[in-house]
Parts: sequence; C-alpha cells; structure tokens
Amino acid sequence: MAREINKYDKSREWFKRAVEVIPSGVYGHLGPAEGCFIPVDAFPLFSERAQGAYFWDVDGNRFIDYMCAYGPNVLGYGDPDVDNAAIEQLKKANCTTSPSYKMVELAELLVDTVHSADWAFFAKNGGDVTTLAIMTARAATHRKKIVFTKGFYHGVAPWTQKIDYPGVLPEDVANNIYIPWNDADAFEKVIAENEGEIAAFISTPYMHGNFVDNVLPAEGYWKRIRELCDKHGIVLICDDVRCGFRLDLAGSDHYFGFEADLICFCKAIANGWNMSALCGKEHLKSVVSGITYTGSYWLSAAPFAAAIATINKLKAIDGPKMFKEKGTLLAEGLKAAAANNGFDLIVSGEPALFYLRIANDDSLMLHQEWVAECVKRGVFFTNHHNHFINAALTEEDIAETIEVAEEAFKVVKRNHPELQ
Amino acid sequence: MTDAKTLAYINMYAVLGTLENLCELDPKASALLTNKKPISIAFDVKGGPVATITFKNGKCRMVDSILPDADIKIPFSSPEKFNGLIDGTVTPIPTKGFTKIPFLLKEFKKLTDLLSSYMRAEPEKLEDEEFFRISTSLMFYTICVAVAQIGNNDEIGKFSASHMVDGDIMISIADGPAATVRVRNHRLVTIKKAPENPRAVMEFSSIRLARDLFDGKVNAVACIGDGSIRMRGMISMVDNLNRILDRVGLYLA
Repeated sequence: MAREINKYDKSREWFKRAVEVIPSGVYGHLGPAEGCFIPVDAFPLFSERAQGAYFWDVDGNRFIDYMCAYGPNVLGYGDPDVDNAAIEQLKKANCTTSPSYKMVELAELLVDTVHSADWAFFAKNGGDVTTLAIMTARAATHRKKIVFTKGFYHGVAPWTQKIDYPGVLPEDVANNIYIPWNDADAFEKVIAENEGEIAAFISTPYMHGNFVDNVLPAEGYWKRIRELCDKHGIVLICDDVRCGFRLDLAGSDHYFGFEADLICFCKAIANGWNMSALCGKEHLKSVVSGITYTGSYWLSAAPFAAAIATINKLKAIDGPKMFKEKGTLLAEGLKAAAANNGFDLIVSGEPALFYLRIANDDSLMLHQEWVAECVKRGVFFTNHHNHFINAALTEEDIAETIEVAEEAFKVVKRNHPELQ
Repeated sequence: MTDAKTLAYINMYAVLGTLENLCELDPKASALLTNKKPISIAFDVKGGPVATITFKNGKCRMVDSILPDADIKIPFSSPEKFNGLIDGTVTPIPTKGFTKIPFLLKEFKKLTDLLSSYMRAEPEKLEDEEFFRISTSLMFYTICVAVAQIGNNDEIGKFSASHMVDGDIMISIADGPAATVRVRNHRLVTIKKAPENPRAVMEFSSIRLARDLFDGKVNAVACIGDGSIRMRGMISMVDNLNRILDRVGLYLA
C-alpha cells in the first residue's frame, strides 16, 4: 500500500511569519536555500519535537532523521543519560562567575580519550575552534598563510569563506592557499612556492564536500602530509567537527593513522548540548594560553556534563562500530532498492556519514526528485550533504527507510518513461 | 572593486547587445530601421571587446568580431574611452563611414536613447503593463549577458567561474524570457534562449518577482524559501552564478 504523502500547511504558515521578522525566514544550513530543499514544498520547515532517531514537524509528520541536526544527534534525540546529566548540572549551576569543575573533568576525559590531545579548550561552535586553531598556528609559527583542500568547509568566519562571498574582503582570504584533496605533491609544491610562510595545513580527515561523491584519503596520503608538515614547521590541523566521535573516539586522525597537532570537535561531542572543543599537542599548549579568546557562554557547565555523559556512553556502546554497521546495512539496502528500479545509487564516504548520489544523470535532477519523494514519505534525507547515523536508529527504522526509498524510486521511474 | 575592462565588455555585449532585443520587443525601435538601407557599425576597443552591429529589415544583430565590410568603424584607444561613449562623456570618431555619420547621429542615437528609457525607467512609466514587460525583459537579457562578461573578465567573477562545472544553466521567468549561460572550461557564454538540456535551472515565478529582484527589493535566498525562485539540478552552478549576479549591480549601477 502506498504511503501517505506529508502535508506542510503549518510549516508554510510559520515560514510566512518567519520571513517577516527573520532574514530569509530560516537562514543557514537548516534553511531551504542552503539546505537545497528541492522542491521546497516537499520539505518541512519547522519542527515540533524530537525523540531518538525521529523528529516531528509542526504538522505532526514524523521523520526518520538522517541529518541528525547536521551531526549533533549522535546517541538519539533526548538521550536520557545525557539529558539527565545536563539537567542535574542545571539544578546546581550553569553559567556562573567561577566555572564549574565539570570543565576539568571533561578536559581530563578528552585527554584520556583523544589520541592527539594533551589539553582541551572549550567554546560553543565548530567555527569557534577552527578559528582558534588558525590563530594558534599563526601565533606559534609567526607565519600568515594557511593551506586548504578544495571542497573544504571550516565554518563561516571570514577566513573560511571565499573571495566572492557577500561581506568578505579580499584581505580576509589573502593568505589562503587552495590545493586539491588527496594531492600531497600539490602541498609540497605550494610549500616550495611559499617557503617559510605557511603556518598551517587544515583539512577534514576525508573530503566530504557537497555536490560530489565524498573521497577517503589515498594510501599514504596523511603520512606524507604529516612528514611535510614536520619537515617545514607547519601546524597540522584536523577539522574533526563533522566526523569526530563517529569514526573513532580517539579522533579521526587516529582512525586514518596519523597524528594532528590540533584537532577540532563539535557536533557529536555533547549530543545536541551546545559546545565545542579544540584539543592539541603539548608544544602548543602555552601558545594557546597566550591567545585572547573567550565567550560569554563558553564555560557553561550543563553542556560539559552532557559531553561527559555522551563520550562515556559512546565508549560503553562502542558507538563508532555501531555506526559503521548500521550505515553499511542502510547503504546496501538503498543501493539494492535503486538497482531494483534501474537506478545507480552511489554511496560514498564512511558509512557513519554516508553521502548519496544517483548517477543516472549528470544534473542531479533525478537525485533531487528521489530525495523529495523520500522526504514526503517521512524519511529525511538531504540532497547534497553527507548524512549521519545515530545510535537510536534501529534495524526496523532502516528496513522502513529502504521500503520508503523503494517506493520513491518507483515514483521517479514512473515519472521518467524515457529512462525505460 | 570593479575594473574598466570588464565594464567595457559589459557595455559592449550586455548593454549595446540588448539593442537586438529592443528591436524585437518594441515596434518603435524596429520602425526606426524599417525601409532603411542595411547598415553595420564596428566597434574596436584596444585591449577590450570588439563587435559589429548590423541593422537590417527592422532588426539588429551583434557579432563579437569586426566584420571587414562594416559600413562604419569606430576605434577606441582604451576600455575607458569606450565606456565614455556609453556614459556620454566621449564623442566617437569613426575611421570609416563618414558618409554614414547621420545614421549614428539620428537612428542609432534614438535607439540608444530608447534603450536607456527602458533600462533607467521612470517609476510612472513602469505603471504601464507593456512598458513594464519590455523594460524588465530588456533588463533580464542585459543581466544575463553581463553575467558571462563578469565571469570571464572580472577577477572575483573569474574565481566564481572557476568553481563552475561544464553545462548549460537555464535562467527563466515563468511568464517571460529565458536565457542560457553555457559553461565550458570555466568560460561563460550567454545565449538568449532556453537550453534544450539544462544541467541547472533557476526560474523566477513571475516577471514582477524578477523585477523586484533586479531592483534589489527582494533577496534571492529568501525567494528560494517561499518558492518564488525555483532551482534544481547542479546547484553548485546556480550558487556560483548567484555570486556573479551579485556583482552585476556593481557594474550596472
């Protein structure tokens, strides 16, 4: 029996109110423009509640959520162990003049857990700590230039944006050097061209750019990048904001067999409670001590308690192993459902953060049509961003997802007789 | 944040090039050329764009080269001098076609004045539905062609184009004109009709919305949210196109 198609009347009503008082209604990656809601009327715009692997929109539609709030939901929305830890801490204190000892406990836990961590510095968002990582590298080396790999995303501070973005000055990005992903030769070349000027190499542990299949590191790639950084006194920064705690609790650098000088965490660190962390090697600790960098809410205690509970629970359940197994099961099911209907679904990246692309056309329009049909039936995929697995996702959820995907493939197939 | 060479390319192909569409859309323009002997004008900008405009049977066509048999040839020693022609501060001096100068002073001037009346329209004139439609359509073609010139010449525009994959982008107004921005090896060409197989699409839901967008009264990101701008296909192409569109206003202001 065909599934019921979602209606979004209340979402539209809220959006009309939103655009009156909020720029573009919903801005950023959760909004319809950056989120690539194509067509926009296939997607919900506002949520009412969330639990486990699901969220419900304001129209009462339930979604199996494969975006996980773009990463933070790692154990399941409203995880009782995490939320109880945060709530208990809230009863005692949260934002106070003297910070809670919880920050010390969390720093100790991170140093014990993360392979390349000799210390931890806390903030709120991923961009807070990628920016601190760049400042640290510049302070340590007294150099200006930063090497990025193409397809990067390190936040929204001006230095992370591009010269053609609104509000960004050429001076903001004048010291950025861009090289292709997986190309250590290109790194060696720009080092030679900018001798003694490069402060840092910053990269995610693998390439999870948008609109393209995600690409894992080539054999020996990270080893060579590490060697080049060591040889030329360049700080190696691993932006683990997206992958952190989903691939390896010791850090994604550890997962891929190298050791970063600085490693940035956010998203999964506290299961939705707002905090981020920069961890690093001993030789950079005194450098960070000298940098002026702080924020009003950065040392709030409840998120620290939540992070401690999250990391301990991820250890107890071996989260990364679970995510890999669930992601693999889902990927195999989706690929089979696609093949049953004559579609070539490419699943790339790590299973815990799988990226989807239908390869039957080079415009991605078939892919967008399929994603829209899934969302209208209660499976929240997004078009051109990697997805996320969470621990609350069950095998029944995965089976239901594959059923929805199959139905959606049939609809797209029916709408495109030219593909027969 | 702008440069004279890019502006010269825009003035040549996006502004003067829109005379083609003016003659198609406004009978007053084509009437100026009807029952007249065909005539062609070659513009040769040193270190900048070149083009020949031919007026024939009430129509106007531009090619991006100097036709050897052009009736009038007007050289410019620099992009700045050519830009001066467009903003009215430089008087052109032909090197060929002195006997055809009356066409330049009469019909050609009337055509460019008519084009200006649509491109810098007075608010009360826009209340006329037909004037509004022609004015907005001409702006549409000018902007679409300017996108290619900025993507090929402006330093920041070239950065945006360097992130665009090959293929055709369709830009269209639901009840109005359509154009193709064709990308090949990060070079852009605008074709003033819809593509057969677009790789990416950006469609405005109405000519009124397109006008509001051109006039800066609404923002494209907000319009995507309420569905009044629809996009699909290779969104990275549309994204970079929008970054170039942001720069059109700098040059055409």
